[in-house]
Amino acid sequence: MFAWDKDDLNDEQVEAINEPDSIFLVACPGSGKTRTLTYKIAKELSILEDKNKWVVAITYTHRAADEIKERIENLGVDISQLWIGTIHSFCLEWILKPYSGYHDALKYGFRVINSYDTEELITQYCQAYNQPRISYFDCGYYFTSSGVSYSCAPNKIGQVTDIISQYHANLISNNQIDFEQILFFAYELIKQQPSISKILSGLFSYVLVDEYQDTKEIQYVIFGEILKAGLGRVKAFIVGDPNQAIYGSLGGYAISIDELRSVTNITIREKELTKNYRSSSRIIDHFSYYKVHNSGIVAAGELEGFPSLITYDQLLHKDELANYLATIIRYSIETLAIPENEICIIAPWWIHLASMTRSLSSQLPQYSFNGPGMTPFARDEDNFWYKLTKIILTEPSPSLFIRRLRWSSEIINCLIDAGVDASHITSKSLLRKINSIRIDEQDGLGFLGIMFNELFIQLNIDFNLFSTLKEHHDTFFESSNKRIDRIRNENTVYAGSITDFRKVFKSKSGIKVSTIHGVKGGEYDVVIAYGLLEGIVPHFNDSDSSSAHKLIYVIGSRARKHIHLISEQGRGTQRYPKVPTNVLNGHQFNYDTE
Amino acid sequence: MHISKLSLINYRNFLNAKLLFSRGINTLIGENGSGKTNLFKAIRLLLDNSMPRSAIRLNEGDFCRKLGDWRGHWIIISLEFDDIKDDEVSQSLFIHGVGNIENQAVAKATYNLIFRPKANIRQALGLLAENDHISLNNIRDNMTISDYETVITGKSSADFNSPEVYTSIVGDFDSVVFPRYLQSPEVGSPIPNVLSMSDEVSFTFVKALRDVVYDFRNNRTNPLLTLLKHKSGEIDPTDFAPIAVLVESLNSSIEGLPDVSEIKVDIKNTIDAAVGDTYSPKTISIKSGLSDEAEQLFQSLKLFVDESDDGHEGSIDEMSLGGANLIYLTLKLLEFKYQKANQSIANFLLIEEPEAHIHTHIQKSLFDKINYPNTQIIYSTHSSHVSEVSKISSVNIIGKVNGLCTVFQPSTGLTSREIGFVERYLDAIRSNLLFAKSVILVEGDAEEILIPILIKQVLGVSLDELGITLVNMRSTGFENIALLFHDERIKKKCSIITDLDALFFDATEITTDTDAIKKRKKKARGSQQKGTERKVALDAFCNGNDWISPFYAEHTFEVDFIKYGNRTYFQNIVDDVYSDAFTITTSKNNLNSSDISVRGQRALTMANHQGKGWFAITLGKAIDFNVYIPEYIINAVKFSHGTFSNDILLKIITYRFNRLQKFASSTRESLASNPAQGDANFHAQWNNYLLPLERGMAIFQPKLFQFIENGGDIQLLKAAMISDIILTSSNMILERI
Repeated sequence: MFAWDKDDLNDEQVEAINEPDSIFLVACPGSGKTRTLTYKIAKELSILEDKNKWVVAITYTHRAADEIKERIENLGVDISQLWIGTIHSFCLEWILKPYSGYHDALKYGFRVINSYDTEELITQYCQAYNQPRISYFDCGYYFTSSGVSYSCAPNKIGQVTDIISQYHANLISNNQIDFEQILFFAYELIKQQPSISKILSGLFSYVLVDEYQDTKEIQYVIFGEILKAGLGRVKAFIVGDPNQAIYGSLGGYAISIDELRSVTNITIREKELTKNYRSSSRIIDHFSYYKVHNSGIVAAGELEGFPSLITYDQLLHKDELANYLATIIRYSIETLAIPENEICIIAPWWIHLASMTRSLSSQLPQYSFNGPGMTPFARDEDNFWYKLTKIILTEPSPSLFIRRLRWSSEIINCLIDAGVDASHITSKSLLRKINSIRIDEQDGLGFLGIMFNELFIQLNIDFNLFSTLKEHHDTFFESSNKRIDRIRNENTVYAGSITDFRKVFKSKSGIKVSTIHGVKGGEYDVVIAYGLLEGIVPHFNDSDSSSAHKLIYVIGSRARKHIHLISEQGRGTQRYPKVPTNVLNGHQFNYDTE
Repeated sequence: MHISKLSLINYRNFLNAKLLFSRGINTLIGENGSGKTNLFKAIRLLLDNSMPRSAIRLNEGDFCRKLGDWRGHWIIISLEFDDIKDDEVSQSLFIHGVGNIENQAVAKATYNLIFRPKANIRQALGLLAENDHISLNNIRDNMTISDYETVITGKSSADFNSPEVYTSIVGDFDSVVFPRYLQSPEVGSPIPNVLSMSDEVSFTFVKALRDVVYDFRNNRTNPLLTLLKHKSGEIDPTDFAPIAVLVESLNSSIEGLPDVSEIKVDIKNTIDAAVGDTYSPKTISIKSGLSDEAEQLFQSLKLFVDESDDGHEGSIDEMSLGGANLIYLTLKLLEFKYQKANQSIANFLLIEEPEAHIHTHIQKSLFDKINYPNTQIIYSTHSSHVSEVSKISSVNIIGKVNGLCTVFQPSTGLTSREIGFVERYLDAIRSNLLFAKSVILVEGDAEEILIPILIKQVLGVSLDELGITLVNMRSTGFENIALLFHDERIKKKCSIITDLDALFFDATEITTDTDAIKKRKKKARGSQQKGTERKVALDAFCNGNDWISPFYAEHTFEVDFIKYGNRTYFQNIVDDVYSDAFTITTSKNNLNSSDISVRGQRALTMANHQGKGWFAITLGKAIDFNVYIPEYIINAVKFSHGTFSNDILLKIITYRFNRLQKFASSTRESLASNPAQGDANFHAQWNNYLLPLERGMAIFQPKLFQFIENGGDIQLLKAAMISDIILTSSNMILERI
């Protein structure tokens, strides 16, 4: 059996891992939640005797899945009986693909539409509506077990409902489904065919769910039905932090233990991880103010007594923002000796970040930045060609071999799903082919285009014949070109050579630039956040009164040592200038002054 | 769980075949070349992990030749499993991959190999306009086997054997309508990566004439080692500890043998002497390497068997082939028993022709006693001696219908009572009819003995050559067996030959009749009455079934046989039947009578005197090529066999011509060598008889030779023989075939 060193885990973590019953684990920030999850999976894998059973772990992102998988491998545990991935991958792999024949909407095959194509399609339908004007961003929706929920303002619901139903009709006529429908159809299958949850419950020994606080109701029902069908044979390990539930607008919410018990009908024990190893007490004191759930948190790490700098600026004008950030960055690196990859700049919205990243990188050419505006091509993890790009643009090296091999077999599975006869391709032969192709093209996107063609000629596959591949190909280049145009329009020097492209996949380096949602799970010595304005934090459409609390809680809990909060002036219109986020403004805290 | 159905579409010999299996033991009956091996190959492609992975990649030669142009068509091999439950946790993975959900529950599973054009081709076909044959031909002409892909799917809901379903999945080539969708639920979903069928079920194929001794020697195929491997992991360490100690002391005892130490010293000295102290190794020892690991020790275990009950246990190499095979099969079965504990959810054993391995008596008891749960055995055979053969509810028959390999289930649609009757009735001899190409059912010994002789003598070909199996029912209960021949069951022709028992003498009672005569007449009238009733019933039974037809002897075999000729044959054996001189004379006179009531009665009396069977043998010896075959018999043969092929007709004509020639020349010889035997008149009569015959033969012979040399229209040749050689009996048979 898998064992760990005494110092690897604290008592709370060990208790959670050794609990024989199912567990509902509330973990405060910095409490080693991922570590606990990783060790729990490793332990359950090591005692799994039935070769026909799987430990299933559902993570919020592909990246988290990859990381946990690698960590478990590094612990020396065989991961062949581990299935780990996002809820969408879970539904695709375990429910939609094997059981699509039992759903009328799926039985003649289906393709998953790219998020970029969704945006294009919905935007197109939006154009027919003027009063009020509807944009793509109004059209967020998600399914619940009782129907569709829209995240737009109440006055737009009628129009958005129309748009979404036109959009759905279009998808159906093309045998396509989008990400929300993956969940919806999986839910329908599970509900209509009780055999499916019975069968799956016979296949799983454990279902682990990370970040439950961002899980949607329909997702709780999907894995809840499986757990229920298992009659207690399948154990659950549900972990997360209700204080960090920031995906309410997409339907995510922190389920209560009672509701979880009634959804799963199994015995579940409630436990807590309360020791924060990340931040100083001063930082914890600050963000604890924003708690919405009364879960425990105590400083327990080396930085407990660290003299943290916590500043809050409400006077700065937005035009001064770049200069001010540059000053903080310089000060942190040059005076406080913080490494650049330990600094994180956070803003609520993506649009605030892209241009900021670019102007910071021209102000601070000596430092590098790792942010959304810097990626010259669409970062769509589910796009086939993005996945392939990941292999093409990483250097073949012994340390990456296993990971690239895994990506390679993922590519082969995608090919098979697309209907390609891939029986002659192995993950090794595919890697070898990719490594052996030499192309003398300096332009990054041009390089990829030639590379894709050359590779498929060598594989003897005409990808244009397979609609999934063709659609993804079109999308990949269309969205990348748009992105490059945007970067060019903003007058920065377009860094589009193949060397720049390769940098995208180099391991995390440079100053991180991220949205609040994107920084989830991360930790940095220094956190700088701006755009903390009412209407942005919380979002003007957000009806949940506690969402500003949670967003600031997430920002605040990322920092180990120092945090700088900014509610800048000059945003909004002349008549309606945006004001600092109320909750933040109302917090009486002994902020540091520069 | 067991295999309940195998469907083969366009695969090798099979254009469209459906085999049904039940749990336990199943029999596959088929003549050679009927495709049994291909059928096993099909199952193995799906289940046998000892087949190379590349085997599922089919090629052009795998398409059924009867299909014609294969391009665009699919090959489908589909297995269906029964006895499946979705709350049976051990089956979860299997069901996840291949289980069919119907009415909110899983009761069966399907597992299919589909060889079809790749998606781009199917898409192109799907876009064709209806009746656009030009574009279709264009696509098909450019298609090669590299445009094909193999997919393995589960959960298919389609009945692939239905031509309509095939058309809806694959497309309609006649009207150029192809499915628009690339995927259809009928075909099933691809097997998820997590399912590996060979981990779920265990499968063993025992091919005919396996070299079992080799298998025992080979570590990979030795079933004993597999069994021991299962067991060695379970050994209690405390049980094994003393053995390990023994092995250790054994090793040191061996090492301590004086000869061994001596050799050790000698080696060391020789090296020192040869290379000198500096370069020679410092120490050398000889160690005994008997392993103290259970698994390795177990490898030294060998099976010794006392086969001949003489107290000597020999190794497998010394055993008879049959004995070794028996041991092999037994160990395989035991392996299944262990595997059951080892989580495999079902065991499948395919045996090709066990009669090639094991003596039939042993087979009988072997199959009778095998009763492992979750173990299904499917074996092929062409021996009617395996007891399981008669269990028609678990029998599949492979045969050719119109040149197409077809599979029948002889028990389809029968009630369990009917099946029970058939199974009890089919003994080793009668179960021959399951192997037959066609069948004639007869009611008694006389027919059983004489019909083969008549056919062989007259046509020169045996019933076997005609593919006809004659089965003696020893009663008139034909319906119970004949019901097997049916559109739903065995699609082979079956003639039924039976007696009408019509009166051939006046059975009206008159006052002068003695009691004995009265009794006989009454019985005869009764028989006639029953005969008529039987005919009504049998005609009704056969009506509407193209596979069976009744043929009636007007009276009874012996009477019908003598009714239209053949009296010489009876006369020739009177001496063999009777010894009393008076009876002999009376009999000869009776047989000469022109009145059928007299000579028919005599024929019957002779048969009853000797016993019908023995009499038939006596008569059989006397029969020659000129015998007259009663019409109903030749009709029965024609119905069973179908139209005579040109080859067979030529064989018959040649045979009859040779016989005539031989007859003519030997008669001439005996006339010449024995002039004293008869007077001039006798010679003249023979001459008159022989001359036209010889003349005719002289005219016909070159035509026959010409035909044999160059071929031609066999019907013309037949007509020529009839017109050239004037001989009533010969012409009659020729006209009738």
